[in-house]
Amino acid sequence: MSDLTALAQKLASLHSSDDRFEHGARIIAQGGVPSGMAAVLHAIDDTVLERQLEIMTGTHIVTLVAAGRRLRGIAGVVPPKGKSPRLAGEAISRDDKKSLAAIGELLNELLMPAPRLTLRSLPSGGFGRSGERGVAATDLISLWQVDMEAEVLPPIERFLSGNRAALKAFLHVRGDEVVATEGDSAQLQDLMENQLDAFLEKKAKLSGNADGPQLISLEGVLPGNVAVALAQAGDDIVLITYDPVALAQLHASWQAIFR
Amino acid sequence: MVVAALDELRETNPGCRMVAYADLSTHMVLVTDSGTTQPREVLDALCDEAAALLGTRGAPPIGAAPGTTAVWATPASLRVFLRAPDEPQDVLCCVCAPDVNVGKFVANAFACLDRISSE
Repeated sequence: MSDLTALAQKLASLHSSDDRFEHGARIIAQGGVPSGMAAVLHAIDDTVLERQLEIMTGTHIVTLVAAGRRLRGIAGVVPPKGKSPRLAGEAISRDDKKSLAAIGELLNELLMPAPRLTLRSLPSGGFGRSGERGVAATDLISLWQVDMEAEVLPPIERFLSGNRAALKAFLHVRGDEVVATEGDSAQLQDLMENQLDAFLEKKAKLSGNADGPQLISLEGVLPGNVAVALAQAGDDIVLITYDPVALAQLHASWQAIFR
Repeated sequence: MVVAALDELRETNPGCRMVAYADLSTHMVLVTDSGTTQPREVLDALCDEAAALLGTRGAPPIGAAPGTTAVWATPASLRVFLRAPDEPQDVLCCVCAPDVNVGKFVANAFACLDRISSE
């Protein structure tokens, strides 16, 4: 594809009016669609004049500097995470493979669990030296091995995949068939076999019951620091054990995917 | 001053539609926030939900013991049920819009329950 064709496509996409905004910031990923890394690389690839790209993850504000469809560096991460204090403010270069890999890992950790990513494109306050042009988004895609056209998973699988780090175990059943398990699912198998039907029957009679996807989190029902969640969407039922500190994250992710 | 605590929870959380304080042993809503004008049947149904999702003595909802916290997200609403640590029969029942900020709301609801329990 020639540069002019690519530029024409960019202008056409920038001109499209189906963008969604929240508090003045453009929503670039919702419920894992597209993946956080793909969304940010698209944003870098769309940036011609030098801009600060302020990305809100829900837990962090990540500010990148991009120009000429290239990432020049990370201006800041608030609150700091991992190696961000060392990486912020450093102009990146294709030759510094170690730093590039560290930035890729950091962005992955920041962006992938986010239920929603929003972006503000702000004037740049200057960054590095003018000769430090950064690394093209197209090169970062291959360096960081980001699948920009990844097939969109079904919602329930996106929920499980996006929250994998917060889950201790899960047991995913569709109809009568176990579709997937992860972690120590023996306890969940026991709940599924001996208590789930009675619980679902009772729940169906409650006035708050509604058609459509549902997530129920129950804390204190198992010994130790373990909570149980039941996710229902269509024919899919997933029993989950998780750390109670992840309650807000799980529900934020559920809302982002299923609303 | 329980009503004041319930009112504050509802007023400071824009997605909150109803807050009630209930006694699961008598299966009764004891008090609601002052903006709630729901009939008795609706409040009884809320008690049923609290009992089903938190469980009662000897009857956990699922698992091994009655729960302390239940959060139920559906396309129509988000319902939060919290059990008072010192009075396990007393529960806070909240009905919110489905897009409420769960982390913020649950934290505020716990603070409200603490305030009620300490009075």
